[in-house]
Amino acid sequence: MNRLTLLTGMLVTSIISLALGSPAHAAGGDYRRGLEKSQVCQSCHGRTGNESLQPSYPRLAGQHEDYLVHALESYRDGSRQNAVMAGFAGNLSDQDIADLAAWYSRQKGLQDLDVE
Amino acid sequence: MIALAPLGSSAQGDPERGKVVAYTCTGCHGIPFYKNIYPTYSVPKLGGQNQEYLISALKAYREGTRRHATMQAQAATLSDQDILDVTAYFVSIGENES
Repeated sequence: MNRLTLLTGMLVTSIISLALGSPAHAAGGDYRRGLEKSQVCQSCHGRTGNESLQPSYPRLAGQHEDYLVHALESYRDGSRQNAVMAGFAGNLSDQDIADLAAWYSRQKGLQDLDVE
Repeated sequence: MIALAPLGSSAQGDPERGKVVAYTCTGCHGIPFYKNIYPTYSVPKLGGQNQEYLISALKAYREGTRRHATMQAQAATLSDQDILDVTAYFVSIGENES
């Protein structure tokens, strides 16, 4: 009976830790750190990602978090080519990218298309 | 001097016609949280995006300087007028709902 209780306890513990997830996971960006790290981004995209300096720069506010991660990774590895973004993304760690994506994706802005 | 564009807006194109052109786009971009695969990520939201950015993105796909198999195939079928109209439609979505 003791052994059964122990096994049950271990099972419950592992389910809980699975559900909570690992804090280092890329999807677990910290939006507060993202805001702190976004000073350089803000000069072109604005604080919330709605205030583009040029109309040729995209709005970022409310964009899907995982798309923002993909875009920054693509600029960093060169598979998406843009001279300005290559310079900035090249200096970002995986955690920086996760944090920045967490910040901009949480702002109110972009919308889904309506399907009628 | 008769018809001046609204101040601060360089929006061009016909959003009504653009909505028709955009029908194919909604197959991926109109479904919330629709995923690209290999690699997996959500297809980007387009509603309310800046028109000049969208124009440059579509032209880059059409020219092949920005790579994505599905987007390159789609953009290859678009004329300059299609691109103006469809992006005008995407911009208009943000104006309606904010």
